[in-house]
Amino acid sequence: MNQESVMHYQVDPWNYYMMRVRRRRMEEEDEMERVMRIVSESAVVIFSSSSCCMCHAMKSLFCGMGVNTMVHELDQDSKGKQMEKTLMRLLATNSTTLPVVFIGGKLVGSMDTLLAFHVNGSLVPLLKQAGALWL
Amino acid sequence: MASQRIGELDFSEPYGIHHRINNPSSSLINDQGSGFDFGELEEAIGLQGVKIRNDETKASFFTGKPAATLEMFPSWPMRFHQSSIGGTNNKSGGESSDSALSSKNENPFEPESPLSKKASSFCSSDQLQHLQLQQDMTNNNDVIKTASSPKSAHEKRKGGGSTSDNKPLDAKTLRRLAQNREAARKSRLRKKAYVQQLESSRLKLTQLEQDLQRARSQGMFMDWSGGVGSNISSGAMFDMEYARWLEEDNRLLTELRNGLEAALSDNEMRVMVEGYLCHYDEVFRVKGVTAKADVFHVINGGWTSQAERCFLWIGGFRPSEIIMMLIQQLEAVAEQQIMGMYGLRHSSQQAEEALSQGLDQLQQSVVDTIAGAPLVDGVQQMVVAVGKLANLEGFLRQADNLRQQTLHQLCRLLTVRQAARSFLVIGEYYARLRALSSLWASRSRDQTIITSDENSCQTTTDMQMLQPSHNHFSSF
Repeated sequence: MNQESVMHYQVDPWNYYMMRVRRRRMEEEDEMERVMRIVSESAVVIFSSSSCCMCHAMKSLFCGMGVNTMVHELDQDSKGKQMEKTLMRLLATNSTTLPVVFIGGKLVGSMDTLLAFHVNGSLVPLLKQAGALWL
Repeated sequence: MASQRIGELDFSEPYGIHHRINNPSSSLINDQGSGFDFGELEEAIGLQGVKIRNDETKASFFTGKPAATLEMFPSWPMRFHQSSIGGTNNKSGGESSDSALSSKNENPFEPESPLSKKASSFCSSDQLQHLQLQQDMTNNNDVIKTASSPKSAHEKRKGGGSTSDNKPLDAKTLRRLAQNREAARKSRLRKKAYVQQLESSRLKLTQLEQDLQRARSQGMFMDWSGGVGSNISSGAMFDMEYARWLEEDNRLLTELRNGLEAALSDNEMRVMVEGYLCHYDEVFRVKGVTAKADVFHVINGGWTSQAERCFLWIGGFRPSEIIMMLIQQLEAVAEQQIMGMYGLRHSSQQAEEALSQGLDQLQQSVVDTIAGAPLVDGVQQMVVAVGKLANLEGFLRQADNLRQQTLHQLCRLLTVRQAARSFLVIGEYYARLRALSSLWASRSRDQTIITSDENSCQTTTDMQMLQPSHNHFSSF
């Protein structure tokens, strides 16, 4: 097998490279699909880390509002790292972004975006629309 | 002034000699009312003979010049020069020039007077006559000037004395005197400009000195902390930046207050309100930048007064408290707006609660890490603890973000004037908090002095003294 791959490399480097690129893209798509699948399962999905305090703050915020959220602890997930990278790509940022929240399957963002929406008065209608809040 | 007079003379020269003939008579006639008498004129005319005899340079004038008036007096071009300058100077500075020029302008239309006829009968040569008339006019204008402007010009001329009737009024002397005057005036103007330049440079210099002092004090902090690290300097720098921000704050609030009192238009007020919002955005930005270097300084509020520090929440004000204060203090607020403000307060409270809980958890985690470290070689845990403390910056940023969003939302809820008034209320509140801090500091100073005497009565009077100053603030 190794010989074969080596031969491929020697014989057809461009195709080999393209194969690698395609595989990575498929993986990314898989990841994205996985994330999308997860966020569509529940009205409010938080991607967090069990040791992160800001994630705890976000969870407290939703609890205080009486919203049930599905929390995905990425540090306890086998594919957590890749999912974190996917989220970073979604948010178009290079720094660690946890926590990230999705409401109604759509990306809301990080803590500052969430607070901005809440102060705005647009968070509650969004939650109601997603079915996470009934008052 | 002779230069002015000469300027006037040459001003009329393009019109030709005829006007000049008319001029002395008409100007004489015009200024009759100011007390001029013909006796002086007779004297002046009588002197003309003396002038002709005395002045040899006039010979050059008679050396076969054609009737072209302007070429008759080769020395006159100098006066053209002077007059063009003198004319402009007249326009800029002359007090009597206006009257002279006006009299000049009237002259071309005056009919021939007996005097002009008399003048023409004096000499055989027309040229000589013209010359005499020139001189005569000069002399007459001297006298006229004395009569027409009895004020400072008169004194000036008398004081100057150079062109009184005593000296022979030949063209050369006149020219020289005129040039002197011009030069003197020019140098006076130059001196004035130079002094003004000096004054402005002096102002600039004081400004630069102040800036330099400020920069040097900043630079000193940088120098000291060279080995220790940038913590000291960034904290001190933030204190200075905050002080500057406070000054700007005062200025903007005064502008807002004046704008409200002057009842400016809504658009103008909106511009001011948005400017004030940007002002607050600026302080949040600077806090964020400083927090990267020294988060404890910002979170602990070392840059605030004592009373402010007591009520601090994650390095600043609690948005819900501010909104509550505004709900209570603002007048003329519609029902819908009040409901909106209550809603904003509620959301803000929830966010504050969440952030506080997150911060508590952080504290707990750090404490656990440090406390749980083994007595020996607990470096690993210290590193972990340091990593956890880095989250503080994130909390500070979220808290400032909450404050910023709350202020912006407040401006969206309220009308422009209400927003301006709320900024004034907030500014006033913080000013009073700061005043309270300084009052408290002075009170505790007095108290330590008094308690050293162990005299309890005096402490109560001290408290009583403090009461009126508290009541002073009751008119919120």
